[in-house]
Amino acid sequence: MADRHPSAFSRRRTTLRAIAAGVGFLLVRPSVATPDDLAIALREAFGDRPITPGKLKLEVPRLAENGSVVPVAITVESPMTAQDHVKSIHLFAENNPLPRVLSVELGPYNGRARVATRIRIAASQQIRGVAVMSDGSLWSAAVDVEVTVGGCAP
Amino acid sequence: MSKSIRTDRRDFLVKTAALTGGFAFGIPLPNASAAASVPELTHWIVIRPDELVTIRIARSELGQGTFTGLAMLIAEELDCNWQNVRAEYADVNEHVRRDRVFGSMSTGGSRGIRESQEYVRKGGAAAREMLIAAAAQEWRVPVAECSADSGAITHEGSNRRKTYGKVADAASRLPVPKDPKLKDPKQWKLIGTSPARFDIPDKTTGKQLYAADVRLPGLLHASIAQCPVFGSKLKSADDSKIKSMRGVKKIVRGDDWVAVVADNWWRANQALKQMPVEWEASDNDKVSSESIKQFLRTGIDAKDVPVARKDGDCESAITGAEKIIEAEYYAPYMNHATMEPQNATALVHEDRVEVWVGTQNGETTIAAASEAAGIPLEQVIVHKMHAGGAFGRRGAHQEYTKQAVLIAQTLPGTPVSLQWSREEDMQQGRYRPVALVKQRAGLDADGNWIAWHVRQADQSIWATVRPSDIKNGVDPVNTRSFQDMPYAVPNYTDEYAMRNTHVPPGFWRAVAHTNNPIFRECFIDEVAHAAGRDPYAFRRPLLRNKQKDLAVLDAVAKAVGWGTLAEKGIHRGIAVVDSYGSYTAAAVEIEVKDGTGIDVKRVIVALDPGYVVHLDAVKAQMQGGVLWGLGSAMHEEITIKDGRVVQSNFSDYPVLRLAEAPDKIETIVMPSGGFWGGVGEPPIGAVVPALCNAIFAATGKRIRSMPLKQHGFSYV
Amino acid sequence: MSEMVARVRIPQTARRGDAVEIRAMITHPMESGFRLDNMGRPIARHIVESFTCTYDGQQVFRATLHPAVSTNPYFVFYLAATHSADLLFTWTDDHGDVARHTAYLTVAD
Repeated sequence: MADRHPSAFSRRRTTLRAIAAGVGFLLVRPSVATPDDLAIALREAFGDRPITPGKLKLEVPRLAENGSVVPVAITVESPMTAQDHVKSIHLFAENNPLPRVLSVELGPYNGRARVATRIRIAASQQIRGVAVMSDGSLWSAAVDVEVTVGGCAP
Repeated sequence: MSKSIRTDRRDFLVKTAALTGGFAFGIPLPNASAAASVPELTHWIVIRPDELVTIRIARSELGQGTFTGLAMLIAEELDCNWQNVRAEYADVNEHVRRDRVFGSMSTGGSRGIRESQEYVRKGGAAAREMLIAAAAQEWRVPVAECSADSGAITHEGSNRRKTYGKVADAASRLPVPKDPKLKDPKQWKLIGTSPARFDIPDKTTGKQLYAADVRLPGLLHASIAQCPVFGSKLKSADDSKIKSMRGVKKIVRGDDWVAVVADNWWRANQALKQMPVEWEASDNDKVSSESIKQFLRTGIDAKDVPVARKDGDCESAITGAEKIIEAEYYAPYMNHATMEPQNATALVHEDRVEVWVGTQNGETTIAAASEAAGIPLEQVIVHKMHAGGAFGRRGAHQEYTKQAVLIAQTLPGTPVSLQWSREEDMQQGRYRPVALVKQRAGLDADGNWIAWHVRQADQSIWATVRPSDIKNGVDPVNTRSFQDMPYAVPNYTDEYAMRNTHVPPGFWRAVAHTNNPIFRECFIDEVAHAAGRDPYAFRRPLLRNKQKDLAVLDAVAKAVGWGTLAEKGIHRGIAVVDSYGSYTAAAVEIEVKDGTGIDVKRVIVALDPGYVVHLDAVKAQMQGGVLWGLGSAMHEEITIKDGRVVQSNFSDYPVLRLAEAPDKIETIVMPSGGFWGGVGEPPIGAVVPALCNAIFAATGKRIRSMPLKQHGFSYV
Repeated sequence: MSEMVARVRIPQTARRGDAVEIRAMITHPMESGFRLDNMGRPIARHIVESFTCTYDGQQVFRATLHPAVSTNPYFVFYLAATHSADLLFTWTDDHGDVARHTAYLTVAD
């Protein structure tokens, strides 16, 4: 089993946050998850560089009917100046057959670090965005998306 | 006589306020909490000062009793007075705003009770602890000295007592315990009993409202025609003559459908039927049941096919076998044929969309409506209704919800009820897939079963739902009962050849546990017969490692008197299946009159679901499962001609009639504890093979394809 | 293989210094490689792999797409409007097919 990325978000953090919010009882998630694949993908993309939660905002609907067309908008707080801007944004889906979804190169010429698109989400999972800033720092955010289709299958 | 759901102005205002205010506690509909702000004891429970306990239910009531069962689980741990309990659906919009606080709403796969039970019980237990803590605080005594029972907290030491309603408000302000203690099953007082179900009285008196009954001020009605050859598109719909017909308001076109909206459904449907509609030609126009069967056969005959399971070496064992038994089995497409045809009502406002639908999954509905309308989830209100039969039709595939929203979008501010006709419902189903299976068995010189080879060729549902879950070409759902077969046959291979047609597949109650058990359990009887053995005695040693399968099998064998002489003319069949976490067996006694008239005398079904919540509901599911199995076995098949479904109504897709029901259905509910198995689907699996095995015993005729009527049989 | 058809939306005019919204879509099946054919065999992957936008010859947006991008890839991004110039949109798929679209951005004070 590959080493977990030191700063990679674990489900546990979400768990604790949820409990703290007074919404106590968690469900067992579908066990198709491959958080290790995500960890590997993150390491391949960013090496050992620390990824800090923050600055990046992911807008994804909490529920998707079948996950084939899910709107995603990524916004990163940044003045987008020559000295301080977003260089790239990367999107990952931990439970997809391939965790990498998209990478986007940006620069001060964009004026605003916001990208929207539509993606496929194979099954309920966490979608993660990582932004690389001009100073080399990495920032991320993650959102859980539940894909509802799956009907009566046991 | 239908009653209206009147959404009057006060309700409307409460709803709007609730939306803008953050989250809604309960939208005032029939079954919803009266007041907008009442103390909440975990998101599951609301207790009023007058002691009324409202329990919120996330899953759907489909007639299977889950609405009441889930309330019982919570009430048991809450230790409230059951007489004060009422249940309501958790609001789907609120659920989304509160980050899916109510967990999964998916009601399928016989999951409703078994997958919710732990966390809903914890909700009840947490609420109980909060109530005790609040009373203890008020009395200034240690919590440990207080106890709760039947809706009241007592402090023995000072002989003080408070009912829940009196402390609910204070309790709601306390932190929710993170890990409340659950009762041991031995302590259960409510679980396992049969209290009056919440849904039965209204369903019996006709008061129950279904989505099809929704009546709102200004409601218009829509009837729809969808492309009869699946996958093709609408070419043209000439509305010139019909748009001026009485009552017709609008004609709406989709990619592969056209709908007429009128002031009542009859007029909408009449206009629709009179409108010339053309559909695009497609390659699938030539597909028929025969061509499909040929296609399946290529899977049977293919050389290399994905392997679902391989124990030992089947090929060598069969080659070296003393006796080889070979048989091919076939089962057709099946339709859900819910009593309530598919329908949905939608109302599109400027800033939100409301839908009324009998759904198996409120989350699927809100997602479908949100995507169809192109607006965020938070702006969609789902009014979840009890379904008039679902059986898997009202979960994954919600075209009707999306269609209703798209139609209503053309008439903003006007509610539109889209009702599929029975014909549409029959011909636009999501069908239990067709299947062809070839089996071979080898017996050694001593008559031991040493080899078993199964080659399946069928249509994969999962390939359309979640193809990435199909590893190495093996469909994990369609191989059930074969890939997990429990018999101790040393050399066993199950191969799976996927053969998908243009006919849309879906989850029919019990899914692959409807046809595969027939193929399997009937074939075992064939092998037993070839070995000169009694089918029950033949099975027993092969189940030596499967105590739970053996227990239910033994139970029905004993109950039917297997091994003892039956009355003259009476013949028996037996079968055992495990599915959805539970174990079931069936024994059937029939008499065959004039060679083709089957008189089903007795059906005995045993079920071990681990635990039983509502005893009578479990029995009802077993009885219903028997009727479902018997009816489908005799009458039901969906056939394809010219690319489209042939059957259109109950005239050519009959379901079991009252007169055809068995004289006696006996249910043996035998929960062995220690696990939570499903109840809605498991009881079906063993019924049909047991019947087919009884038919062989009676007539010498081996049933290898369904339905029975094609072999000249009927129920008498 | 069917043609890739582009649809782009840019503002009619932009004020100098504004970050303007650009929307671009290309028709493409984005066959993921995970779908199965009617006999359970994976359908070969066929996706748009990159999408770029240049503004007066300079790259202002570049996306690298993987199979999880939906059919008919659609992007919304922003551009700091500095001067009137051509925008060139280019999509390249894994078969080597290329689609291009040009639009002229008018920038006024």
